[in-house]
Amino acid sequence: MTARAKSEGRAAGSGGLAARIAGLVLGIGFGFWLCWARFTSYDVILAGLRFEQLYLWLMFGAAVVTAAIGLRVLRAAGARTWIDGAPVGWSTTPVRRSHLVGSAMFGIGWAVAGTCPGPAAAQIGQGHLAGIFTAAGIFAGVALQGWIATRRAPAAASSVSPGACAQA
Amino acid sequence: MHVLAEQCPWYVAGPLLALLVIGLRWCGNLHLGALGSFVAAESWIARPRGLPSWRVFFFVGTIAGGVAYALATGALHATFADGAFDEMGLVAGRGLAARAALLAGAGVLIGFGARTAGGCTSGHGVCGVAQLSAGSIASTATFVMVAVLVARLLPIAALGVAR
Repeated sequence: MTARAKSEGRAAGSGGLAARIAGLVLGIGFGFWLCWARFTSYDVILAGLRFEQLYLWLMFGAAVVTAAIGLRVLRAAGARTWIDGAPVGWSTTPVRRSHLVGSAMFGIGWAVAGTCPGPAAAQIGQGHLAGIFTAAGIFAGVALQGWIATRRAPAAASSVSPGACAQA
Repeated sequence: MHVLAEQCPWYVAGPLLALLVIGLRWCGNLHLGALGSFVAAESWIARPRGLPSWRVFFFVGTIAGGVAYALATGALHATFADGAFDEMGLVAGRGLAARAALLAGAGVLIGFGARTAGGCTSGHGVCGVAQLSAGSIASTATFVMVAVLVARLLPIAALGVAR
């Protein structure tokens, strides 16, 4: 790792070696969790979307409530990040048309494939190889969106960066 | 390992996911988002310059986590079977190529749509909603409503095409 990359990492607060290790470790936890909760299963996702099982919704509710409380406690306590000592915090976004249009498209794909980006990746590791086709499609969709966004507004395209995953 | 082989109870799975959200935030104000990891991996593959960002490591970790689970439960075997997806009228009895095409087509909608919206079920649905972001709440309400509707219509449409 070069000195320049190091300083960039520090400046960005999310690109250093420590962030990469955190990303890898928590990514492994995420993939493991997705399999354990059975979200890598088409049948489980569809049973949730059809309300034949309440598992998906109960889990979602428990996750959101726990995370909301935990994050607020951290911020209120003035906690600082382990990596760079910055105050724990986040920004929120107002509703934009792109949220609605994009999410409607995403919702169709989610119901048809019975999977979303995280599970598609975990499926591949699990040996559930249908995930390869879904993941290939996601890569193509992501690339196409990026290409169109760059052509439409070259200056604004940088706002659709990886970090833009809900700059919420 | 019996506990791992059974589906994790929702009241354990929910808080565990929340721990991942909180853990990433506490580590370095990192925002959990699977779509973002695809975006980062795509841009690094297209232009591999230097060490990839933490999101690419998260993407690799997600796949590795799938391997770890399969190994931990002694269930690592490769299969193209995808449950009831394979029985949908659109693809039933039409071989792997038809299933691959439908999954890839749905994947394009997922990737294009979620990147347009700036997040997916994890980035908007869990992380963004927990942070009470209006954009994330609107996104989540939209994709949940659309997916519930499509999941209901799907059997009808799929049968219509097959017959």
